[in-house]
Amino acid sequence: MMLRVANAYHKTQSILACRTRCVSSTPTSGPAKSFPKEHELLPSSQSPIISTLKFFNSVTVDGSQIPTYRVLDSAGQPIEGGSIPEEIDESMARRMYENMVQLPIIDNLMYNVQRQGKLAFYMTHYGEEATLIGSAAALANDDEVLGQYRELGVLMWRGFTLADMMNSSFGNCEDPCSRGKQMPMHFGSRKHHFHMISSPLATQIPQAAGVAFALRRDPHRRGKNCAVVYFGEGAASEGDFHAGMLFASTLPSPTLFLARNNGFAISTPANEQYYGDGIAARGPGYGMHTVRVDGNDVLAVYNAVKEARRLCIAEGRGVLVEAMTYRVGHHSTSDDSFAYRPRQEVEDRKRLDNPLARFRSFLEARGWWSAEEDDALKARVKDEVLREFRKAEALPKPEVRELFEQVYGGEEPWILKEQREELGMLLKKYGDAWEPWKTELKKHKGAGKELMDPKP
Amino acid sequence: MSTRVAFSRFAPAVTRAHRAPAFAARRAALVRGYASQSEHTLTVRDALNAALEEEMLRDEKVFVIGEEVARYNGAYKVTKGLMDKFGEKRVVDTPITEMGFAGLATGAAFAGLRPVCEFMTFNFAMQAIDQIVNSAAKTLYMSGGFLTCPIVFRGPNGAASGVAAQHSQDYAAWYGSIPGLKVVSPWSAEDCKGLLKAAIRDPNPVVFLENEMLYGVSFPMSQEAMSDDFVLPIGKCKIEREGSDVTIVAHSLMVARSLEAAEELAKEGVKAEVINLRSIRPLDIETIKNSVKKTNRLVVVEGGFPAFGVGSEICAQIVESEAFDYLDAPVERVTGADVPTPYAINLEAHAFPDAPVISKVAKRALYRTN
Repeated sequence: MMLRVANAYHKTQSILACRTRCVSSTPTSGPAKSFPKEHELLPSSQSPIISTLKFFNSVTVDGSQIPTYRVLDSAGQPIEGGSIPEEIDESMARRMYENMVQLPIIDNLMYNVQRQGKLAFYMTHYGEEATLIGSAAALANDDEVLGQYRELGVLMWRGFTLADMMNSSFGNCEDPCSRGKQMPMHFGSRKHHFHMISSPLATQIPQAAGVAFALRRDPHRRGKNCAVVYFGEGAASEGDFHAGMLFASTLPSPTLFLARNNGFAISTPANEQYYGDGIAARGPGYGMHTVRVDGNDVLAVYNAVKEARRLCIAEGRGVLVEAMTYRVGHHSTSDDSFAYRPRQEVEDRKRLDNPLARFRSFLEARGWWSAEEDDALKARVKDEVLREFRKAEALPKPEVRELFEQVYGGEEPWILKEQREELGMLLKKYGDAWEPWKTELKKHKGAGKELMDPKP
Repeated sequence: MSTRVAFSRFAPAVTRAHRAPAFAARRAALVRGYASQSEHTLTVRDALNAALEEEMLRDEKVFVIGEEVARYNGAYKVTKGLMDKFGEKRVVDTPITEMGFAGLATGAAFAGLRPVCEFMTFNFAMQAIDQIVNSAAKTLYMSGGFLTCPIVFRGPNGAASGVAAQHSQDYAAWYGSIPGLKVVSPWSAEDCKGLLKAAIRDPNPVVFLENEMLYGVSFPMSQEAMSDDFVLPIGKCKIEREGSDVTIVAHSLMVARSLEAAEELAKEGVKAEVINLRSIRPLDIETIKNSVKKTNRLVVVEGGFPAFGVGSEICAQIVESEAFDYLDAPVERVTGADVPTPYAINLEAHAFPDAPVISKVAKRALYRTN
C-alpha cells in the first residue's frame, strides 16, 4: 500500500510540474466552460472536469432503468427486431424444451417425497426453467460451473442422469456426488465440470473468480473456457459477491456472473434486497460488461449468455448477466412462501408468464412440436422419474466406513484410524446385540462388516 | 482499514522499540548457544522465504496471493524478492478483502493450483474464516473425494507487541478443532522451512501459524535443513531438550520461553524435557504420552487464551489415556490471561507467560513451590 501511495504522489508531482508549464503557455482567450486538460490534476483518473454541480444515480445516460433484453413475447412470438439464434434448429430447440419440461416433473415428485419425510431437503426450480436451460445451452459443456443450489437443470443438460440425481438426493451407496456426505440438491460432478454446491450463500462467487484464474493460467484452456457462477439476487448482498466481482475485474479472470433475479431471497422480496437498479447496476461499478435479460425467455437467455461468454473469454475478464425471473415455488422445503406472499400473486405470475408455455408456443408455431408430443413426453418423463426414484430409494445406504473417509487426502492421520477402529470394535460387540444398531446396520451396504472385520 | 495501514507500517518498529533489549539479548544467546554446532544460521523470515522460493521453483502450480505480497514484498517481508523472481502471475497482489482473496485462492485450489494465501495477520483472517472452515476444510469430504483443496493459509498469529487486542490473538485452538484442516505452529527457522515446504506439498488445506516476534530471530540451520529437499513431517513434534523430571509442552514463541525456563530449572537441578509441538492438528499425542510416562509431570504452555485451548486439549487427551496413571501431579496449563490483550506495555507483559512463570509452575508440578 505504501508503494502505491508513493507512486500516486510522484505522479501528482510530475503532473503538477507539467501543468505549470501548460499554464504558462496557455493563450489568454475567453474562459471555456470545460477544461479538458484539467482532469490530469486528478491522480489516476480520466474523469472530465465540469463546472456544474451534478449528482447522478443511474448507470444509464438518461437516468432510466436498465433495459431488459427479450427475443420472444409472452405468446412465444419474436418481438420486433428480436433475433432467433441461427443454431437453434428443430433438434436443438426440442432438446432445450425437453430439458425444461423435465424439471417441474422432477420437482413435483421430489417435493411430495420430501413432504412424506423420505428426503431431508429439496429445492424446486419452478419458474426458472428458461434461465437454467437457456444459459446451460449457451455454455460449452466444459466451462466450469459453480452453482448456488437451484441449478440442477444446468447439470442435467450436461448429461447428469435422473439416476445420478436420485442417487445423490437419497445419499445412497451409488451417490455419485458425495458418497452420502452432502445434503440433497448439493450436487457436484467433476465429469460434468460442475463444482460442489456449498450451503453458505455466495462463497462460490469469489471461488469462481479463482477457478477462472486457474483456467487463465492453463495453456490448454486459456481463451477456450470460462468459469460460470450462478447466484440469486439475495446472495448478491453478501460481501462475497462484491469480492468476486472485484477480483474478476482487477486480476482479471474470465468469470461469467449469472444472477438469477427471481424476486425473492427466501421471504425477502427483491425490492427490499436492494434500493438501486437491481444487480445489473453493479456491473459497471466493477468495470464489467453487463446485460439484463428476460429470464423467462429461453432464447433471450441463450443469446445473452452466449455473447457474455464470448466477451468473457475474449477479454479474459468478468461479465455480468442479470436474468429477471420469478420463483414460482417456495424457497425450499423448509419454507412456505404463502406466509409472505399471496397465493393469488403466484397464480397470476404463472398464468401471465410461464417460460415453458412461451417456448412451447414458439415451437408449435414452427411446427416443431405438437400437443400429442407434449403429452407423450410428459408421460415418459414422469415414468422415468418414478422409476429412478424407486430404484434409488431401494438402494442401501453407503458403507459405514464412508463416515471416516476423505476427511484428509494423502496419508491418513492417526485420529481417523483410531475412530474407525473404535467404532468397528463397538459394532462387533453390540451390532447384533442392540436392536437399534441391528436395524440400522442392515440399511448400509456391507452392514458395517468392513469395520468389524477390517482387511489388513 | 486505517488500523490496518498503521499496523502494517509501524508494528515492526514498535516491536523493536518496546522489546529491543530483551529480545536482542535472547537472540544473541540463541545464536551463541548453537554457533558451535552449525555454521549456518537463518532468520525465521528468511527460512520462510527460502521455503516459498524452493517450492515455487519445484512446482509451477504454486503461487502466492495476498495483500502487499508482490510489489511491497509482504507486510513482514516474508515474500521479499519473489515477485522479481517469479513475476506478477505467481506473486499476486490483491484488493483488500480477506474473504475475497481467500475465496479466490480456495477456488484456484479446487481447480488444481497450489495457492499460498498470505494473511497480513491471522486476526484479519476472521473475515475469511468461512472460506477456510466451510469450504477449504470440508469440500473433499462433502464431495466424496473428487474435489481436493491443496492450499496453505499462512501469516503471523498470536500476540505481537504493542498492538493491542485486535492484533493479538492466537488462533491455534480455533483451526485446531476443525476436521479436514491441518494446523502447523512452527517455532524455529528449521521448523518454518521444513514445515512450510511440507504444507505446500500436502494435498490438504494447511493453516500455517507464524509468529511476528520470531520473524527476525536467527536460528542455526543444519546442513540437511539448508537443502532443497528438507521437509519435516506434519503431525510430529520435536523434543527440543531432553529431561527426566518434568515435561513442558509448548508451541511457537512459547517454545523459546519454555527453553529459557528449562535453563533456569537446570540451575536448580531440575531436568525439564521441552517438547516443541510443531503441529496442532494432527496432534502428536504419542510423543507427549511417552514423555509423561518418563517424567510423570506435565506442564503445557501456550500464548493463547486458557479456555478451550491447545493446552486444554492436550490435558484432556492425557487424562483420557493410559498416561494418566503415570501422573504424579495435576497437569498444569500456562497460558495467556483470560482478557483481551491490553495495549500498555506493563499490562501486556502481565498478559502472557514468561520464563519465570513457566519455571515456577514446573516447580509446583514437582511440589517444590506453591
